[in-house]
Amino acid sequence: MKVYRCQDSLESIFTAIYCAYEEKCVPEDTCLVLHEEPLLFAEDVWVKADCTKVIKVMEALKQRFGEEDYLFLCLALSSGDEDKAQAVYRTIAHGFRGKCHPGHLFDSLADDYVLKAFTLARNAEREVHHLKGFLRFQELENGILYAKIGPVNNVVTFLMPHFADRLPVEDFVIYDDKRNFFAIHPVGKQWYLLSGENLEEPELRFSAAEIKYRELFLRFCSSITIQERKNTDLQRNLCPLRFQKYMVEFS
Amino acid sequence: MEYLVNGKEMSLMDKLNILTDAAKYDVACTSSGVERQGNGKSIGNCVASGICHSFSGDGRCISLLKILMTNECIYDCKYCRNRCSNDVPRATFTPGEICTLTMEFYRRNYIEGLFLSSGIIQNPTITMELIYRTLFLLRSHYGFNGYIHVKAIPGADPEIIRRTGFLADRMSVNLELPTAEGLHNLAPNKHRKTILSPMRQIQNGIQANKYDLAVYRNAPKFVAGGQSTQMIIGATPENDYQILNVAESLYDKFALKRVFYSAFVNVTGDKALPVLQGGPPLLREHRLYQADWLLRFYGFKAAELLDEKRPFFNVMLDPKEDWAVRHLEYFPVEVNKAPMEVLLRVPGIGVTSARRIVAARRSAVLTFADLKKLRVVLKRALFFVTCSGKMMYPVKLDEDYIIRNLTEERERIQFGSDGMSFRQMSLFDDGSFTRPLRQTEILQAAVGEF
Repeated sequence: MKVYRCQDSLESIFTAIYCAYEEKCVPEDTCLVLHEEPLLFAEDVWVKADCTKVIKVMEALKQRFGEEDYLFLCLALSSGDEDKAQAVYRTIAHGFRGKCHPGHLFDSLADDYVLKAFTLARNAEREVHHLKGFLRFQELENGILYAKIGPVNNVVTFLMPHFADRLPVEDFVIYDDKRNFFAIHPVGKQWYLLSGENLEEPELRFSAAEIKYRELFLRFCSSITIQERKNTDLQRNLCPLRFQKYMVEFS
Repeated sequence: MEYLVNGKEMSLMDKLNILTDAAKYDVACTSSGVERQGNGKSIGNCVASGICHSFSGDGRCISLLKILMTNECIYDCKYCRNRCSNDVPRATFTPGEICTLTMEFYRRNYIEGLFLSSGIIQNPTITMELIYRTLFLLRSHYGFNGYIHVKAIPGADPEIIRRTGFLADRMSVNLELPTAEGLHNLAPNKHRKTILSPMRQIQNGIQANKYDLAVYRNAPKFVAGGQSTQMIIGATPENDYQILNVAESLYDKFALKRVFYSAFVNVTGDKALPVLQGGPPLLREHRLYQADWLLRFYGFKAAELLDEKRPFFNVMLDPKEDWAVRHLEYFPVEVNKAPMEVLLRVPGIGVTSARRIVAARRSAVLTFADLKKLRVVLKRALFFVTCSGKMMYPVKLDEDYIIRNLTEERERIQFGSDGMSFRQMSLFDDGSFTRPLRQTEILQAAVGEF
């Protein structure tokens, strides 16, 4: 059995998939793993991310399965699950083997690997959708909007296009509390990610207007509640505590 | 009427408090139906699915900044908190205040857009003009490109409603009460006819706009998100069958996107209104919403779910289960062969899982284990489906048997807003008491006198 050892990144996993196809591996006898534990009777291959190979895989996937399913595969890879690389690899192998038309990659949910990849992707997709609503910007003294989130999946890259489209005239920053990196959007320019060893969350000084509007929103939230219908369980089901931790109206 | 507080001196905080409080009984808070990319120059875009930004203490979503323009209303509707004869603090927003609030909340990602309604100042046309002016300011001067839901005020000049329609994403006219008779009794200033005519106008406007858009791609869009309405449930003696029929005809004849149902909360204490002992009729509202979904997405008709003889929904079973156990002749359904519209009628299979079943069975023969993976609710579905000709367990296709099994565990769960699922046993829990005990009877029982 051939075992490709990847890092936890989209580039690394796509490179491994490229290598597996290049060497004409049999999918049933090939494994993509993220951990470093030795496996019995395994032939280890240590994968190093290669930009040209990644782009080739991306193009091939987009062409064969369509934009939407390609995005879904990327969402599956943003999850924190250990077996995501294997699930995505086998899903792709399943798609390439059969007569799979664009947009139908995730139809065969009776297959365990497809189902696994689908579940991971759906989970990440839901978190992206939740965060589009639950993320809260706070205005700093210098006018920059700053948001802090702690998502389970690595979804900041999926959130940025939405907010860049929505707030093109604002300088804003999203900070991933769990993975310690920033996504930065300067006005009128392309957004980018900033990560590094010594990065730390800066000390925040909010503007006077920020405190005023936070108060106003808190008041809005409390007076919109109909006391006769009070149902905090429902509130918590729909807005889980892990999001509430980062939202101004709950802290 | 004299006011304690002078409107000019009132702070923004107080105004927001009063006018949110006054608007909270409006149900519609959806931001869906419009997909609009940002223009790169100003704030805002729209997402077709809609986005919920927060959830209030009653579990309802906060998607839009839901406020009234003013609660100084000349009408005297008996159910409404803002009726002119009610003694509550009054306030009015200026258009500028509404715009800054919307913009500042929006850029902090608190809200998805604005929901603007209003009490009637002087007359409907003037009120509608004020709303129009606010929207115009927000769209043109502030460049707001997000979602706007606005009320069309019945009785306002059609021209001003038409103009507002080009600025808003969704418009709604509240039907208030399901029948004209109920409306006449509780809202003497409103008439069925004046409510339906702007609704028809908006419907025709949307239809005409579709042709315009087909010819000129950049023609301005008229109420792109469609229109909605809402009805108060439980204030008047209508039954569920009447309400559902009204909803169905609104969907069919007025092409509405949504009909909202609002469990009646008695806020005015008017003598013409019922006193609801157990709080707002939340279960009834819930059943109506379930039936509403069946009408819109599952191909059911109102007459299939209820009829003259059974005008109310079953308390124990949801409308779909209720229909299924009364029509056992259609079951069991073979999952691997049944067409989509038949699958949709099986309790436990929803639109998403039906779609997944249809896609997945192209490449494999589905078993019950697969159905579980596709997120079919087998707890309910197992009585009604077969996989490759076999049922999951040997179950009897018998009405009583199925009802017993469907409701077994639910009997223990009380439907209550506090989510209480157990309670202290007492001597009076027999269930055969149809009326509540009088105080004297309890006393007699306690001391042993009969």
